[in-house]
Amino acid sequence: MFNRNKKKPPIAAKPIAEMPHSLLGQDYKVWCKSQKGNHKWRNIRWTVLIGVNLLFVLSFFLDLSFLEGSLSGSRAMGFYLIDTFNALQVVLISLPGGYFPSLTMNFWIGFFTILFLSTMGGRTYCSWVCPYHFLAEMAERLHDFLVKKKKVKEHSFNIYLRFVFWGGFLLLALLTKNIVFENLNPIGILSRAMIYGPGLILLWVLALLIFEIVYSKRFWCRYVCPVGATWAITGKAAPIRVKFDHDKCGYCRDCQDVCLVPHVLWFVQRGKATQKTHYAGPDCTRCGLCIDTCAGKALTFTIKGLDKLI
Amino acid sequence: MKKDNTNINRRQFLISSAVSVSALAAIGAGVGFLKKLHSANARTTNHLRPPGAVDEDDFIYGCIKCGLCVQICPIDAIHLAGISQGLSYGTPYIDLREQACDFSCDSLQCVETCPTAVLDFKQFEEAGGNAITEYQKTHDVSEPGFNPFKVQIRAMKEEVKMGMAKLNVNTCLAVQGKGFTGTPRGEYFKGIYRSPDGNEKKASPLRDREFKRGICDLCVTECPIGETAIIMDDTGGIFKPKVLEGCTGCGVCVMVCPTENPSIIVEPLNQESHV
Repeated sequence: MFNRNKKKPPIAAKPIAEMPHSLLGQDYKVWCKSQKGNHKWRNIRWTVLIGVNLLFVLSFFLDLSFLEGSLSGSRAMGFYLIDTFNALQVVLISLPGGYFPSLTMNFWIGFFTILFLSTMGGRTYCSWVCPYHFLAEMAERLHDFLVKKKKVKEHSFNIYLRFVFWGGFLLLALLTKNIVFENLNPIGILSRAMIYGPGLILLWVLALLIFEIVYSKRFWCRYVCPVGATWAITGKAAPIRVKFDHDKCGYCRDCQDVCLVPHVLWFVQRGKATQKTHYAGPDCTRCGLCIDTCAGKALTFTIKGLDKLI
Repeated sequence: MKKDNTNINRRQFLISSAVSVSALAAIGAGVGFLKKLHSANARTTNHLRPPGAVDEDDFIYGCIKCGLCVQICPIDAIHLAGISQGLSYGTPYIDLREQACDFSCDSLQCVETCPTAVLDFKQFEEAGGNAITEYQKTHDVSEPGFNPFKVQIRAMKEEVKMGMAKLNVNTCLAVQGKGFTGTPRGEYFKGIYRSPDGNEKKASPLRDREFKRGICDLCVTECPIGETAIIMDDTGGIFKPKVLEGCTGCGVCVMVCPTENPSIIVEPLNQESHV
């Protein structure tokens, strides 16, 4: 919708002779499946995700003072980090309440550190740190399986619904003078449950997961979560991106199938690309699933700007 | 054909937006209702906020439920509330009877670590600073024994106002003229604290302590604040612990009270009764 490149006239699709499988002399279907079983980035990502959450837990249990707090606000070796959407709500509430001046320096440090990181990497947090993402990834597999077996039907919504929720939750915070979203936030709930012990509130997370399994794939992450939406906005010009090379693409669209936010890969379809190289949009979580699955290695992680220098 | 698609998309978006907006409105109404219902009795004797907590209404809104205060507390006095506490879910509280705040951290670390200022450190910073200035006026600070830290900590501690202790004269041992011998809360009690008279560096378990008192005065002798907070009143031959203005509501008296139900409790201070 807001993409200038998308409005340009598309460049010509490659003829069969120039397709990567023809250049290699392979059958198209065989070529498409050649990267099956490659889970390099997924394994790295899962290790990081579990590692970070484990660090939180161990820091508390073993009193390491290494990564204190939880995912809504923490201290990494004494350096504060605060979830941007949470901080936004605190600022919003503090303004009419007159508490704005008493917000601490540590609050601002935490706020701006994460804000800065998100302008570098956008929604990277979502797939590399968020514990709910991990559970939802498993739920997604189950959902896909059930859809394949025709047990459930897939329902999709408009991805801009997130921004309705984003604005809505901010407005709610302002009106009720309460950080409403943090009561519902599965990230915070899971993080606290892991660190400080589980509670009945976990049923809410379970309900979300069940909804995602039987009704709509990745409902929370795709259409609701304002935490991710915040970083989709701040990461609009993020340099860390997934880069697409049209010359290596075989138009198989496997990458879109595995992608959490397939609309960021709109250019991979035959006859859609408008230039030789594209970068995935700000909604991309840099999970690397598309990179693992791409047979022609047309998709790679890159740092925009730096790649041109080298 | 293409135009039709856009229209369907737009209609879908509008419908789902309407649904989500009404869902949000419902959540908002629910939160408003819960808040009205809840804020009146959010702080109870067993559910006190950590030192420096702002008014309950403001507390719930400002707390991001990160749990940094829970982690920094050296005696594990602070816990996060469960869903049964309604809107207070995930916010910190202290159950004094199980583990009182005995100022073991020596610098109100829970307040200092709070990133959102719902545990407001400014008042303590000021109190500590003022105390040092006052001290310098009357004392010779060039002495080698001078420790500004001690003066500062003392002042910061006294600035705490979690609540106010209140005696239950019906069950208090001292009022009945009874003494106490033994370990107050039994040998399995987990609570720890730092004895005010000794020079203990770290808090030690209450179960390791033996007391022998002709007239039970544990709440008076174990108080970390001392005689500005609680004294033993013995006018007319009747012994009665008397809580004074200096009480911080730290709850060590509640924790050490040997009666089955504590004969001294801490009443939380709400907006109206805030001194």
